[in-house]
Order: sequence, then C-alpha cells, then structure tokens
Amino acid sequence: MSEKSLHICHLYYDILNLYGDNGNIRTMEKRLAWRGIGSEVSRVTFGPIDKDTDYDIIFIGGGQDFEQELLVKDLFEYKAEWLKEQIEKGTVFLAICGGYQMLGKYYEAADGTKVDFLGGINVYTTANDKRMIGNFVYEYTRDNGEKFPVVGFENHNGQTWLGEGVKPMGVIVKGYGNNGEDGTEGARYKNVFATYSHGPLLPKNARIADEILSIAYERKYGEKLPSLEHELEDAALDDIRQQLGC
Amino acid sequence: MSARSTFAVWAGKITTKILKFSGSGGTSLPGKVVLKLCPDILGHLAKDMKVICVTGTNGKTTTCHVIRDMIEEKGSTVFCNDAGANMLGGVVSAFVNAAGWDGKVKTDYALLECDEAALRFIVEHFGELDVTAVVTNVFRDQLDRYGEVLTTVNKIRSGLEKLPNVKLILNADCSLTSSLSDVQHKEIHYFGINAPLYETASSDISDAVYCIHCKTKYKYHYHTFGHLGGFYCDNCGYERHTPDVALAKVLEWKDGSEVVEMDVFGNSVKAEVMLPGGYNLYNALAAVAVAHQIGLSDEQIVKVLGGLSTHFGRMEEVMLGDSKLHMVLVKNPAGFNEVLQFLIQQRPTGTIVFGLNDNFADGKDISWIYDVEFERLTEAAVGAEHFYFTGKRAYDMQLRLKYADFATDKFMVEKDYKTLITMLKQQGQETFLVLSYTCMLEFRDKLSEFVPLAKYAKE
Repeated sequence: MSEKSLHICHLYYDILNLYGDNGNIRTMEKRLAWRGIGSEVSRVTFGPIDKDTDYDIIFIGGGQDFEQELLVKDLFEYKAEWLKEQIEKGTVFLAICGGYQMLGKYYEAADGTKVDFLGGINVYTTANDKRMIGNFVYEYTRDNGEKFPVVGFENHNGQTWLGEGVKPMGVIVKGYGNNGEDGTEGARYKNVFATYSHGPLLPKNARIADEILSIAYERKYGEKLPSLEHELEDAALDDIRQQLGC
Repeated sequence: MSARSTFAVWAGKITTKILKFSGSGGTSLPGKVVLKLCPDILGHLAKDMKVICVTGTNGKTTTCHVIRDMIEEKGSTVFCNDAGANMLGGVVSAFVNAAGWDGKVKTDYALLECDEAALRFIVEHFGELDVTAVVTNVFRDQLDRYGEVLTTVNKIRSGLEKLPNVKLILNADCSLTSSLSDVQHKEIHYFGINAPLYETASSDISDAVYCIHCKTKYKYHYHTFGHLGGFYCDNCGYERHTPDVALAKVLEWKDGSEVVEMDVFGNSVKAEVMLPGGYNLYNALAAVAVAHQIGLSDEQIVKVLGGLSTHFGRMEEVMLGDSKLHMVLVKNPAGFNEVLQFLIQQRPTGTIVFGLNDNFADGKDISWIYDVEFERLTEAAVGAEHFYFTGKRAYDMQLRLKYADFATDKFMVEKDYKTLITMLKQQGQETFLVLSYTCMLEFRDKLSEFVPLAKYAKE
C-alpha cells in the first residue's frame, strides 16, 4: 500500500445505519485499496468532535425516527458549526436519506411543527402522507456533461424541496425522488452529494463511487485518481435497469 | 358452537376440497371464505382448547416444530398451521382443516406460528382464553414493510394487549422483546443464553443501540449475536431479566447438534440439541420454556431435544445424484449471519449457491445484504470451488461477495433453476444453498422434478 490514503468519517455510524450503509463505506475502502490507495475510516458518534482532525470524505447514512430527537440534540450541541465549516471549505460529503434531510434547513411535520436541522445546504423537507418507496432510477450529469444512470432503492415519507444555490443530484427516470413532483432527485452543493438512494448506493453505482473518490483524491493530492474496472458493478446495474425497463 | 360457525367451517372445507381437486395449492382462500361468513370464527373454534402462539422475527417455524414434539411427548394432541402460512387466513385455514364436519376441533392444543404484524388479527377473538404467547426475538426484517424495528415491537404489543390472561414467554437477551413484559399477563417466563456463544463476537450492526425506555446507550456484559446478550441501561436501570430457562454453556459443538448444559427452573440439565447452528439454541430454549409450563419433566425435555429430526432448523438435506445438497433459508441479516457462522464451521470445499429474490415476501429492498457479514466467511470458504448466484437479484449478491473479497474467478450467475440444478447434479459435489424465501420455493419446485421432496418445512 502506498502512503497515499483518504480519511473517511462515518458520522453517527451506530445510529444512521439503517439501509446497509456499511456497504457504502466498504465500497469506498475497496475501490481505493484496489487502486493501491489506503483509507482510514473513523467512526464518529455522539459527543464532542476533534476539530483538528481532517477528513477527506464525510459519510452520513439513514436512520429511524426513534433516535432522531437524540441526534438533533447532539448535532446542535457538538457538530453543527464544524459540519457547516466542512461543507463550505469543500470537504466531500455523501449523505443518504435521513442524513440528507439532516443537512438541510428543517423538517416540517403535517401539523406545521418544525424540527430545525443543520442548515448546511439550502433544502427543506415537509411531511407527506404517502410513503415513497421502491427501486428507482435517475440520471446523473457530470461537470463535463457526461450522463449516466444511477439505480437505488428509496423509502421515505418526507418531501424534500431544493432552494437557491443547490442543484439536484439527478433527474428522475423512474420512481419518486426528492418529492415525487418536480422530477428532481437528491442535492449537489459544493462537494456535497445527497440522495434518497440507498441500496446501498455505491456498490453497483461504481461511477458515482469513483466520482466521489476522485474529487476527494484530487483535492488532497492534486492528481487524477487512477481508473479502475467495474464489470460486475455494471452487470448488477444493467440487470436491475433491465428488470425495471429503463 | 353456533350454527353460523359450523356452516362457515363447512364452507371452508368445501373450498379446500375444490382447490385440491383443481390442483391449485393456495392455502389462504378457504380462510378468506370462512372469515367472510363468520368473522369471529377463531373465538368459536378455539373455545375449549389451549392455544400457543409463536411470533418474532426469526425462528418461529423451528420453535413451533420443537414445541409440537414436546406436546406429543406429553401425550397430548396438537395441530399447527403450515409454516409460512402465518397470516390470519393461513391460521383460519389450519383451524378449519383441524375441525370435523361437526365444526369442532378435537385436539388439545392449537399451535400457531404468527406473523408479527398479523398476531393482533389472529388473537382478536381469543379474549379470555388460555393463550401462551412466545416471542422469539425482534430483528430488522423487511424494513420496507414494517418501517422500523420499533414498529414491529408495537405490532406484537398490540396483539398481546388483546389477551388479558396471556402467559408470556420472552427472550430475556433481546431488549426489544423483553420490553413487552409490561403488557397485562397472567404469567411470565424468560429464556436466554448466559454466556457468549462464539469466540469472536458478531456484528457491530445492532438493531437496538439505545434504551427503549430512556434512550441511553445500552451497555453489555456480553453479546451472543446481533443485539442479543447481557444488556443493561446505566441510566434507567432497564436490564436483562434473569431467565427461567437458560443455556449455561455449550459443552460440545457437533456436526448438526450441540451438547449443552441448561438451567431449567433451577435444575441443571444436560442435553444434546439435535438442531444445526448456534442460532437454533434460542429456539430450543423457547420450546423448553413452553414444555416446562405445560408439565413435561426434565427427562422428557431432554428426550425430545435429542430426538429432533434433521429436517428441523430449516436446513434440508437432499441427494441429487452424487451431489449432497444442504438447503437453508435466509430472511434477514441476523438469520443470515447465523447461517454464515454455520458455514464457517463446515469449511465448505464444494459449491455454495446464494439465491436472492426481491419479491414482497423476501423484502423488496435488498440493501440488507450489506448488513450481512460475508467478510467473516471469506477466509473459511477459500477451499470452496464454486460460488453460484441465482434469483432475481443474483447480480447484486454476486457484487456483494466481490466486495467481501471472495475470488471472483469462481463466480457464476445462473438464474435458470433447471440449468443450475442440472449443473449441480453433474458436479457431484457437496453443495450449500443459501436462499431467500421465494427463491427457496421456486428452487424447490424445480428441484422436485429431479428428486422427490418432502412438503416444504413440514416434517
């Protein structure tokens, strides 16, 4: 293993891990290792954060409602300012489902009560009586205009709405996405990637995995991430796309 | 027995006969017909019986099998619903089949495997009856259906709340299950394991990290697997209840059985449990708790545990030409991890087949395969020659194993069961098949064209 290595923070690893989220971490570790690049995963939970530690990628998964209250309390007590700084300075984020909602401004329940979230990206979420659930497909566009399909599984009640300065992560081909209404899915802001897609997201969407790793690697080392095959990844992606008819 | 309920039983029996005659195997239609005619039919049919309901995420079928043997050892008669037919319709069908044309059920016991969400509908009209309810455990299972584990706990709770005279038998090691102790009950007993099962503790994936009462992080004296073990909460004092039926230690792991030392209501009892894999020990303990409650002696209990047939534990063995097939069902991460633990002990040299479907009964969302610790098997399975993948999501399963560092040059996807079976037969190898629910049904269906098979999950 070379001395090159990315430092990944798995934030709230023991609470936000509902949908095979370890698969996302594992994919990043493996796709780095297969390129001869090291990785260190720091698992961070409740309590104070070491602000002197530099992370290249911060990953936040999805969770269940039971812990949400505790989570928000810890977020504002220990992590909110730090996370906002990290977002603004360009640290790469991958946030899934509940983690995605948490980076936004607030969640508004059906009765109008609001739970304040981080406010790190300009999106907010409103309650919906319909559960948006199932395999879904969206099209991701790279900065160079290259497009590719992303397949995952979504399962959420909340409808997320994008504000100014935030782009969607993709355009829905099949399924609901952010809110089931405006055809958008997920959010991109600076180096934040946020999506409702678990599945988990990264294993069979190797192009997204490599996109995220590339940005983090280039930021750190100023050179391109070496290419890596993704044959079995594409086989899984193509197979489910075919089953879904898109 | 009301005339209406007798008529409903007749209607159900006739529907069953017609279905049998026409060759369709559906088991839920007769139940639906009966419920239309007599919505409170179960209240009528169970009136003079003792009812045992077994619910929980994992181990329902195996636990029921062991309890059935215990009841028969006692010299009593019992009927059960078919494994998997554990929603209201399936239970009603089972009662109708067990009833005579006079509309009465003549067995002493009704032993019912109950889906966690269906429990409250099944027990709706049991009311004051003598009902024993066993809750095996609560794990993450098919989250797209139930939302989250607490939803599952609450569904079971709302079932138990309909039974003011219930005798509860709960898993002491499961903080989610034992939180059900506060529902109104007549008696309550616990079963559990007093020491870690394996040298390497499994999983940092836990389905219950924070105290269900006060949301403080649990501490543990030891883990058995998943979130099961000697949990306690420093803040509110919620902790594992001392079990009435406990496994003190495993004296010997054998191929397909374990010699164990148990504590059964204060008596030290040594027994060989003829079930494969540590995950089945909890099921055996739950059944022992029931056996003790219905009056079996320790000697009788030991006899039953030592005489369980190998079809139990949902591990089925079939000879296909010269190939010995071991088939096992997997439904969720906790169950799958236990199957992996079993495979690790086997150190397989032949073929392992992984089959994954994403139909409703399997769970539409397959992300849970990333909560299964295949990485633990990688080293133990280096001697295996082939890894085959089948089912609708075969390619996802294949990819999962790539990311667990299995040798990809041994991989092959074959979704056509007939081709797969032909190939396994030609190989003449010991083969382990690890299949999700509907994948198992489809595979067995095709396999039965090659070799005679017993009806699924029945003895």
